[in-house]
Amino acid sequence: MLATKLKSKETIVSLITGKAFIINCHGCKEVGFPEKEATELQKELAAEGRVTGIFTTDYICNPENMKLRLDLHKAEIDAADTVLVFSCGVGVQTVSEYLETKRVLAACDTYALPGGQGVTPLEYDCKQCGECYLNLTGGICPLTACSKSLVNGQCGGAKDGKCEVDPNMECGWERIQRRLKMVGRLDALKCPVQIRNYGNEVDAAE
Amino acid sequence: MQNYTKYKLKSAEELAPFLAGADKIFVLACNKCFKEFESVDEPDCEEFLKIAAEQGKTITGSAKVDFLCNKTQTLKKLELPEGTESVFVVSCGLGVQTIADSVKVPVYAAANSLNYRGHHGMALTKKVCDACAQCYLNVTGGICPVIDCSKGLLNGQCGGAKDGKCEVDPNRDCAWEKIEQRLKKQGRLREFLDQPVQTRDYSKVNFKTISEFVTAARESRLDGYYGGVHPSERKELSEHLPLVRFPEPDEVVIPLSMHSGAPANPTVKAGDAVKVGQKIGEAAAFISGNVHSSVSGTVIAVEPRLHPTKGGNVLSVVIKNDKKNEIAETVKPYGDIDTLSAEQIVDVVKESGIVGMGGAGFPTSVKLVPNKPIDAVLLNGCECEPMLTADHRVLLEYADDVIYGLRAMMKTVSAPKGIIVIEDNKPDAVALMQAKVEGIEGVEVVVARTKYPQGAEKMLIKRVMGRQVPSGGLPADVGAVVGNVSTAKAIADAIKTGMPLVERVVTVTGERIARPGNYIVKIGTSVKELIDYCGGVTGDDVTIKTGGPMMGVEVTDTNVPVIKATNGVIAYDKDHTEAVSCIKCGRCVDVCPMELEPLYFAKFHDEGNWQGMADMNVRDCLECRCCEYICSSKIPLVAKIKAGKSAIMEMNKK
Repeated sequence: MLATKLKSKETIVSLITGKAFIINCHGCKEVGFPEKEATELQKELAAEGRVTGIFTTDYICNPENMKLRLDLHKAEIDAADTVLVFSCGVGVQTVSEYLETKRVLAACDTYALPGGQGVTPLEYDCKQCGECYLNLTGGICPLTACSKSLVNGQCGGAKDGKCEVDPNMECGWERIQRRLKMVGRLDALKCPVQIRNYGNEVDAAE
Repeated sequence: MQNYTKYKLKSAEELAPFLAGADKIFVLACNKCFKEFESVDEPDCEEFLKIAAEQGKTITGSAKVDFLCNKTQTLKKLELPEGTESVFVVSCGLGVQTIADSVKVPVYAAANSLNYRGHHGMALTKKVCDACAQCYLNVTGGICPVIDCSKGLLNGQCGGAKDGKCEVDPNRDCAWEKIEQRLKKQGRLREFLDQPVQTRDYSKVNFKTISEFVTAARESRLDGYYGGVHPSERKELSEHLPLVRFPEPDEVVIPLSMHSGAPANPTVKAGDAVKVGQKIGEAAAFISGNVHSSVSGTVIAVEPRLHPTKGGNVLSVVIKNDKKNEIAETVKPYGDIDTLSAEQIVDVVKESGIVGMGGAGFPTSVKLVPNKPIDAVLLNGCECEPMLTADHRVLLEYADDVIYGLRAMMKTVSAPKGIIVIEDNKPDAVALMQAKVEGIEGVEVVVARTKYPQGAEKMLIKRVMGRQVPSGGLPADVGAVVGNVSTAKAIADAIKTGMPLVERVVTVTGERIARPGNYIVKIGTSVKELIDYCGGVTGDDVTIKTGGPMMGVEVTDTNVPVIKATNGVIAYDKDHTEAVSCIKCGRCVDVCPMELEPLYFAKFHDEGNWQGMADMNVRDCLECRCCEYICSSKIPLVAKIKAGKSAIMEMNKK
């Protein structure tokens, strides 16, 4: 699932050359969207007379509904030289394809949150590697829980249980060891050396 | 429709070494998400069971679950049979990790996750985004170089493309050629060429940033109660506007059914003179309500008139207002809380026709005679509906009356505690009420983090008391009585002045109302008059509702009266979208505060499978509209749920 943060105010202001039409997408608001900051900034821009219209909607990544809704604002869009989209990268690309000759710009940066469905993110992630290692690691994914995605044990660089790459992160392999101990499966570590086959990443869409 | 199915069963050979060491297996299969919602049954579970049987394994049981990674819902349903020694999970890596995180026995993955390029949008489009946290689309004309270029180049083509096709994969267009064409169309080629060299900062997506997002989102989703949503509040249009008495209407139309239960019987006829507070309708049953005149004047008709929420005509008393405001002789103070007995207070509430003013219209006197001991009376001052500010103004301008009404309610049910719950988006009301309840025994203010539908009684009880009203049960079952702050104010008025419920506070607001405001309006005043007085509706393509945008009822003809439960009249932009088919995105399941699975209600409705709907507890649905609000396919879920509920009622009658 995707969450967004505003780009810096200076960046956003510098994107508008003349007047802007603003689109807010609230489709993923429950996951993460800077609604308050966006509203404040847009009020400022409007007060400076740099806005032809502000339109707030949801799921602009659904092209059909996005078109239906956007068509109602044609005059405001025509009057603007920039369409500033406050959404994830999917939303910006959808609008950008629809208004192909218009300067459609992104006001946000996009982050992926772990978790598959719904709007509630999970604490753990899945890299969709196509050759699930969870059977050997007590159900903790070495690709996502280890910052180096090591599949054959710890790198040795952890200090006090924290990752040497990012001290905010726990060492994934220490967690794996604890988990295996808990479920009585430490012998799983005696498995042969694992080799990641990147060719296994089967594309779901194919 | 693109299929984003997330896993594929491992082969028998792949599974063999793990099956070899395991026995007494429980199998848990996920029904897959992000795919067309056609069948409920995925074949993978059976296939795995076959493989396990071939290896001579004992199976302790199996279950198929929707959205296995929805931890709250999954753990509620998950119970491993006695003797289970291992669990095999048929799902993507997220489902396996969810289970491995939650049970004490070894958990195995029976499937491999499938990959899709980039993150798709919720509407299952091909547009992808790598979530790099440093969007390059501003430089590239809206075509993503990270995803669309097979090499993820940020500064132009590699030079290897042949005839516009990628050298890595000749089936793909060269992204940089597309970018060049797009920029040309927009006359922005120079702008691109003048850009400094772009570098990708991989540290932008780091553990801390992501875990902060995750923690915040999980907290807000599970805060107080499961699910709920945060629609834009849009209360700034009217929250600061003090109450104004609405001008005397020339005529009022007072429906004899403004409450749940039986309509009242009229006690006046055309030609009768009536006064303010005079009874014009008598409660017809235990669950019913008295109706009183809100004006003095002459009854001109007792006839069916269009009702704002019941969808059709309802017997109503039409009164010509003489604008003299003569008060009926029956209206005189009843006394006060200390002199009146609990039974007497209930009688006052009943006699005064007081019903739940938060929208439901359930007769308050019935709530006040519960057959179970009550620990607390909760006053709902959340006003969680977007746009509405009526209760907010009541809290600010009638604080003492609200507390008086609450104390009266506490006395009727012998509750030791009275709790006024206010959402944190009304800090002025919180501060005022906190100061007012100081020193009043048993009465306190609880501030709740804003989340819709907090004001629904079951949510309110869970949030404040941590208790769960059982399916099909009432608040009294867990020792609570819930009322609205405006109802409490009406009780105070009735006791202190004897004036029954003949007027209420209504917010008239919305982006399409010329001059929003909060008004004290006589019951029976026309919605059209209210809107006209506020400067009318601006522009076309407007949705008008009585109540809030979430649970309010759309009015197509504004010649309907304000009734006891009308807390708002709103006008806002009509939504121009069309429903598409369900893509199993799981959002409705994540936001349903009653922890139901709304996607099934839509599916079963379309199939006419009423029994299926009943089996999935559709009767527990509050019709709060969270599912419809979040639905990425814009499916009109609430209408389908309502249709299902009535079909089930018909079915049960037979």
